[in-house]
Amino acid sequence: MSLNLFLQNVANGLSLGSLYALIAIGYTMVYGILRLINFAHGEIFMLAPYFLYFGVLIFHLPWWASIIVAIALTATTGMLSERIAYKPLRDAPRISVLISAIGVSFFLQNLAIVVFSGIPKSVHRPEFFTRLYQFGEIRIQSTLFASIIVSSIFLTLLLYVVYRTKTGLAMRAISTDIETSRLMAVDVNRAVSITFIIGSALAAVGGILWGLRFPQLFPTMGMIPGLKAFIAAVVGGIGNIPGAMLGGLILGMTEILFVAFLPAVSGYRDAFVFLILILILLFKPDGILGKKVQEKV
Amino acid sequence: MELLNVDSITMKFGGLTAVGNFKLKILPGELIGLIGPNGAGKTTVFNMITGIYTPTINKIYFQDRDITGIKPDKIAKAGIARTFQNIRLLENLTVIDNVMIGFHLHLKSNLASAILKFPSYVREEESIYHKSMELLEKVELEKFKLEKAGSLPYGQQRKLEIIRALATGPKLLLLDEPAAGMNPQETKELMSFIQKIQDDFSLSIFLIEHDMKVVMGICRRILVMDYGVTIAEGNPAEIQNNPEVIKAYLGVDANYA
Amino acid sequence: MKKQNEKILTILALIVLGILVYLAENNLDAYKLRILNLGAIYVTLAVSLNLIYGFTGQFSLGHAGFMAIGAYVTSLLVLPPYYKEMIYILEPLAWPFTVIHAPFIVALFLSGLFAAIAAFIIGLPVLRLKGDYLGIATLGFAEIIRIIANNIPRVTNGALGIKGIPEFTNLWWTVGVAIVTIYIIKGLIESSYGRALMAIRENEIAAEVIGVNLTYHKVMSFTISAFFAGVAGGLFACLLTTIDPKAFMFVMTFNILIVVVMGGLGSITGTVLAAFLFNFFLEYLRPIEAGFNIGPIKIPQVPGMRMVTFSALLLVVILYKQKGLLGGFEFSWKGFFQFINKLFKNKRSSEGSAM
Repeated sequence: MSLNLFLQNVANGLSLGSLYALIAIGYTMVYGILRLINFAHGEIFMLAPYFLYFGVLIFHLPWWASIIVAIALTATTGMLSERIAYKPLRDAPRISVLISAIGVSFFLQNLAIVVFSGIPKSVHRPEFFTRLYQFGEIRIQSTLFASIIVSSIFLTLLLYVVYRTKTGLAMRAISTDIETSRLMAVDVNRAVSITFIIGSALAAVGGILWGLRFPQLFPTMGMIPGLKAFIAAVVGGIGNIPGAMLGGLILGMTEILFVAFLPAVSGYRDAFVFLILILILLFKPDGILGKKVQEKV
Repeated sequence: MELLNVDSITMKFGGLTAVGNFKLKILPGELIGLIGPNGAGKTTVFNMITGIYTPTINKIYFQDRDITGIKPDKIAKAGIARTFQNIRLLENLTVIDNVMIGFHLHLKSNLASAILKFPSYVREEESIYHKSMELLEKVELEKFKLEKAGSLPYGQQRKLEIIRALATGPKLLLLDEPAAGMNPQETKELMSFIQKIQDDFSLSIFLIEHDMKVVMGICRRILVMDYGVTIAEGNPAEIQNNPEVIKAYLGVDANYA
Repeated sequence: MKKQNEKILTILALIVLGILVYLAENNLDAYKLRILNLGAIYVTLAVSLNLIYGFTGQFSLGHAGFMAIGAYVTSLLVLPPYYKEMIYILEPLAWPFTVIHAPFIVALFLSGLFAAIAAFIIGLPVLRLKGDYLGIATLGFAEIIRIIANNIPRVTNGALGIKGIPEFTNLWWTVGVAIVTIYIIKGLIESSYGRALMAIRENEIAAEVIGVNLTYHKVMSFTISAFFAGVAGGLFACLLTTIDPKAFMFVMTFNILIVVVMGGLGSITGTVLAAFLFNFFLEYLRPIEAGFNIGPIKIPQVPGMRMVTFSALLLVVILYKQKGLLGGFEFSWKGFFQFINKLFKNKRSSEGSAM
């Protein structure tokens, strides 16, 4: 493989990886706080480009306004899904919440089919997003830069919130011990809502960037990227925010390079990612940056 | 022949040494107590003996067999049973099921005969039922046999956990704070109960307790732990007068008290 | 109630059931029969999922994968060799699949067997995981199985799938398999081994200390569960007459999960009822999607409303009736007669006071 081709693949891998990273952060934050795999997170990711599309085409909003509205709507959906479907089960056995999450996931998917129709839609993108930058022989779409820049900005903001604000302190306290946090008068409900809002907003950004990069929208588009982003979060260490970013990048790169080096088995690319998940779960369940927690007997 | 030989085991969790050089030999028929302040490492010792943790250093022998690091279910089969500090009953199962499960490890019938209800299995199941009822009668729980185990009052849950352990047919019984949460009357009953089952079932008993009445009352030999280390060993009189023990519990020279 | 009497009642009930099946097979139209067949297949699927999930407490999301294995095994065995050669247009069918051919019952058994073998291999490492992690790992395996099916056209005809499978499945088969499944799984649950499985569900550490070998029991439960999922897959293939990898996406497992949750985890009776209700509603809610009128209000055509409704229903059950719609109720002859007695007692006392 020529150097140029390799670099092109690396660029693609980073691009994909940063999108996974944005979604993975949402999974890891929710898991850290509630010990819940939010199966519905992929659907949150899916809704954002649809909101964007509707904003631009139906309401004729300018792009920048539509993006903001889409993020806001998506974040609200995420927050509402927590209030309605997860909060009442906070003291129930973990399995109940998991099933609820699967329920929300399918509910949102099917609602999208009903409202937006199952036929894939193509988003018309303004030239700004489709411009290709040329570096020698490598062509990079502007969305790659957007993804990396946006992800970095948001990650920095997020780390600031988590480590330098009272809300972030509350979130960290809850992820360590939710019972004691309640006893210490931490406003658990507020912290959880904020977690979902932030996580959903990030997924929305990821979804919009994804929609701009792969402009075919369909209601089940969130499932596989959602699952892969979750795998990325596990790889990086579930519950660990920088880990989610790292995991996302690693997973994106690995996926692209897998297809690049083994084109004959490219049909197995998703299976390969699942295999990574299973291996990590079996051999290093704490992921790369996670820490081991001993269960007291 | 000694029943249990714990040969200077040490348990480290990362950089923390929870238990250091713990030594103990138990002979058949003994009733031994393990006391010490909270966090001294007593339950960790139990966990190592029953296979939940593997000692970082050295070995444990049961009836001359090396049982270090063997999984808990095999240790149960070998003849060591235990109860837990915060009672681990099968809450949604009935009281009688909680006892009957104790006999499962000695089941001779295979899976197919159990599913298809061969006569040989049916006979075994009936025998298990009767033996479980006998155990329930010993603690006067037989009338609750069909109640959910989780609905029993605390004291009775403890008794249920003990007879469940007895159902496994152990030679050595480890009791983790059996008297916790009991009033004086219940404690007295527990003490005679423990001595009774020791006779009836020819057991050796090793118990962790904070209630000194129980420990001094029924244990013939006592070990004291503090910060993971054994600081004293002897009979009740020796332990009560041991200055190290007093210091560990009171934290200060008792002469000044 | 004496065991003898219970056995007699059960046999009588089975005879009645047999008569009903005979009448149904000979009098109902194909549409209704398909729904009943699906209902019975779902009974097998849901009861087997209940074994590993409701009774053993292991959150397995891989059921669709085992179904897929069973479906493909049966299809390959049951289609005559010359026909297979015809339909494999992507790539020619590999030997020995070209020559193998077996009667339906053998195919079903082998479907279960292969699914069970897969479960054994997967289960040994994976069942060490707990809760959500186990769910994701088994989901991952099911997806891997599906992706493999998509990518080995020499065996499975890839994404095109297999068409023209002989329609061997009828109510006798589906109900028969369902009854066998219930009989065996009930027999397992109501034995010492079943107690061990439930002990694992309730408190793994306690179970281990009592002498229950976790690996053996978990893998055993998982394997038996997968066996019946595989058989159900075979029945499924010979009912729908075409299968392709898309039929076994996560949605399938989700449907079975809906049935198990609505019927109540750990309740076989509930599962049976829920399996049929689920399929009935799935069919009879179709009109919702076609659009209809309530008086002057016109409700427009909304494809997909069924699944929205179902997802919402699942959420409602999970949120408010966590023990399932029947609350963990389990049918027994004794309970049935006690219920009848109570009805009559009330009738008598009200007549008495009227005098």
